[in-house]
Amino acid sequence: MCPEIVDEAAQVWFGPQHVSAHGWATKLTIVGDYIVECDPNAGYFHRSAEKCLEFRNFQQGALIMERLCMLEAFLAEYPYVKAVEQIAQLDVPERARVMRTIMMEASRIHSLQFWWGQFGAELGLFAMTLWPWVDREYFLDAFEELTGSRHAVSYSAPGGVKYDFNEKSIKMLERALDRLEDRLPKFRDMILRSPTFKLRTKKIGLFDAAQGLKWGLSGPNIKACGIPMDLRKDDPDPNLAYEMCDWEVPVTTNEDHPGQCDAYDRMSQRFKEIETSASIIRQLLPQVPEGPIIDPKARAKANRLPEGEAYGRVEGTRGVTTLFLKTADKAQTPYRAKIRGPCFASYYSLKHLVPGSTFADFVVIFGSLDPYPGWWDR
Amino acid sequence: MGVGTILQIDIVGWLSGLPSWIYLVISGLFSLVWAFFNWIWSIVVWFWALAISQIWWLFKAIVFPGLVFILFSIIFSVWFTRKVWGRVQARRGPFHLGKYGGLQVFADAIKLIGKEIVIPDKAKRWMYRILPSLLLIAVLVPFAFIPWSNEWYIADLSVSLIVTFAFLTVVPVVSLLSGWISGSKYTLIGGFRAANNQFAAEIPLIISSVGPAMLAGSLSIMGISQAQSSLWYFLLLPVNCVTFMVSATVITALVPFDAPVADSEILFGWRTEFSGIYFTMTYFAEFAKQLLFSGLIVALFFGGSYGFAFMPPVLNFIFKFLIVLFFMILVTSSFYRMRQDQVTHFCWKYLLPLSLLNVVIAMFAIVYVPGLAQLLGIGG
Amino acid sequence: MSEPDIYLTTVSPSAVAQAVRSKCPDVTQKSMQGNRLELIVPPSRIRDVVGLLNELISDALPESVFGIDLQNDRYELIYVFWSHLNRMLCQLRVSLEGTVPEVDSVCDIFPGLEWHERETHEMFGIGFKGHPDLRLLLLPEELSGKYPLRKRFKTDRSRLSETGLPEARPGSKEAET
Repeated sequence: MCPEIVDEAAQVWFGPQHVSAHGWATKLTIVGDYIVECDPNAGYFHRSAEKCLEFRNFQQGALIMERLCMLEAFLAEYPYVKAVEQIAQLDVPERARVMRTIMMEASRIHSLQFWWGQFGAELGLFAMTLWPWVDREYFLDAFEELTGSRHAVSYSAPGGVKYDFNEKSIKMLERALDRLEDRLPKFRDMILRSPTFKLRTKKIGLFDAAQGLKWGLSGPNIKACGIPMDLRKDDPDPNLAYEMCDWEVPVTTNEDHPGQCDAYDRMSQRFKEIETSASIIRQLLPQVPEGPIIDPKARAKANRLPEGEAYGRVEGTRGVTTLFLKTADKAQTPYRAKIRGPCFASYYSLKHLVPGSTFADFVVIFGSLDPYPGWWDR
Repeated sequence: MGVGTILQIDIVGWLSGLPSWIYLVISGLFSLVWAFFNWIWSIVVWFWALAISQIWWLFKAIVFPGLVFILFSIIFSVWFTRKVWGRVQARRGPFHLGKYGGLQVFADAIKLIGKEIVIPDKAKRWMYRILPSLLLIAVLVPFAFIPWSNEWYIADLSVSLIVTFAFLTVVPVVSLLSGWISGSKYTLIGGFRAANNQFAAEIPLIISSVGPAMLAGSLSIMGISQAQSSLWYFLLLPVNCVTFMVSATVITALVPFDAPVADSEILFGWRTEFSGIYFTMTYFAEFAKQLLFSGLIVALFFGGSYGFAFMPPVLNFIFKFLIVLFFMILVTSSFYRMRQDQVTHFCWKYLLPLSLLNVVIAMFAIVYVPGLAQLLGIGG
Repeated sequence: MSEPDIYLTTVSPSAVAQAVRSKCPDVTQKSMQGNRLELIVPPSRIRDVVGLLNELISDALPESVFGIDLQNDRYELIYVFWSHLNRMLCQLRVSLEGTVPEVDSVCDIFPGLEWHERETHEMFGIGFKGHPDLRLLLLPEELSGKYPLRKRFKTDRSRLSETGLPEARPGSKEAET
């Protein structure tokens, strides 16, 4: 920046009271209508989850994890459960594996629906907020029927799951899926073919895959560049049942800028994610085997863990979600737990993505990266 | 004792004169008050005589097409907007208070008026207090020129169209000023965006209204609406009608073009720092503007009070007015917000040439299509 | 439709380990399980090793950097990289000692690690030489220099006076316990 420009610059705090900054704050340096510098600030949601985990036993830890991101609660609690299972060497019953996978995918759909409604509001169409949120209610009802809670589900436990499917919960899940599959193509037309949506999102927040990987971006933000980077395929998890169904990693490629993605591509990528998740659930639902849902000795085994280290990973809605767990011998609580949230990277990348764009596009850029403050503040 | 002169006061004499003094003072004061009352009373008498002689006009100005009616229609349009938006957004809109939630808006207005007024430290207090009222006045005055029918109107100037636009030009100035004096960066950005919106859309708006004015041979809104007794100008100037409507949406800062009050970007734009009654005024001014443009569209393009013979003229006008209003609300609930530079590009690249083109085509049509001029009642 | 460039070169975990060890012989390798590669790197060589990983693995995703307090002024830093193309998880372990341990920053090689290093700095007090911006990331100002994720940072009532919060009232239930 040359000094004359800096003289004219104004600093604007975007947040934490701003309606579309959902509780976080970014310091923007503005010259005219253009942002020349962006300094994202974290910490407004910091609840010291990592320190808290050191004082909770291995059954309780998952509850803290799911509170980091209520939208993808099934997915958020899984890395912890997975790490505990690795250290305790628990076997997960077949039925629990499939049920976990189904609920994780349902959670992904629900989270993406929420995001897409929020993105609609950020772009100024409030109707697009409420339409997907109506569909989302059906998933929430299904979650409530299954676990008794709409958001804080606490479903997976070391060695299995806590609640069994019953006829009604399966029916409610299917009803939610029916409604989704009925309405999704219409919504896709309404959004991706809308001229005003194209005006706002094309060529906005453009980055190429190599650069995005260097920033640490993952999940749909990288898949939108045309790279099928997906832990569900790359790092198959023996405690989940993704290999039981036939699916492809969805990617978006754009002829205008191969290997790069803009906000429009990220939107269309997330529609494909929803479709893939729906098809996985559809394939898995008839395949749920009979049997126990949890290893009866799991609770005793997870009470005290041997010394060890484990790295639990899952492909979350927003990208690679991991938890590093280190235990001392015969410990009731973790020695160290490190949470890696996917949005830590996407929030950081605003620092590089935003400068040069206009003030109005800032909303579109961060909205399209699907940030969730729980994941970076923890 | 004995040093200097002792001023001797004849205390008894002074006391004996006191009653007449008091009488003088009181009678002087009384005559002053009496004169003042006389003066006021003469004004009242004069005004009363004027009012009695103009009672019909006074009734119109205050009750029916005037202030009370307009205020109630603003409240109605707030309710109507919420209801339509609710239906579009798969929800019900207000429904708790009154029939179909009709009292909800009154409750909201009372709540807003009763709220504490918080004036930011950096705001200019005088301007902060004056500007919202100024805005509301500037938007309400042009309603005097809306011809609800040939009898029901308040004022008819020979240049009322121009005067209306002149009053509407005040609005962005007020927006810019109130963004500036609120002492916040968000409001300042919003103020500039509001000014930019007006700058972008005013020329297409005025050019679009040139068409009807030219065909009617009059700059009075009344004259234009009366000239459409046989043929609505919408049929002759369809493109102008659309460009007028779109420019009106831009100026009113409704949804596809609501960058000045974009809530996800700059909170509430230039209105962010207003609170309580001041916010209510700016909020009502927006709806008043929307109503005003709906009225103008009906008067300029949809034949004013002419059209459906089975209805009285006033109902005719109101019926068309509601349809236009409904259409505007529907449009504003179904688009994403455009960026500021895109709004300007859109207005200057597309709206301006289109509105000019339709005017030129209409001119040629009058000259070369036989019988058209006669139908319109001009020249011939 | 041409595939992006980062798709072109693949490399196996053992080849990576071999390349790293031939360049930096003091790096030792832990036993490999499946696709996981673990290298123990001395603190002085971390920039070399990360730079080498950046060259060898074309699509390295810097997952995280974090510290572990092993008590008695010993710390361990773990760098995690993931490669989608090679299906390889690469962990680098760095052992550190001292009250104010320091290590070279790698955030110019992988910008994504900038904030992870910032967080490790504020939580563990591990310095990163050459890091452009070591302000607090998550913590409030009053916890600056307290390093809350260290094991000696107690969270019970013994440290209540440092927080500036009022003591529990005498006679209340909390004060008795």
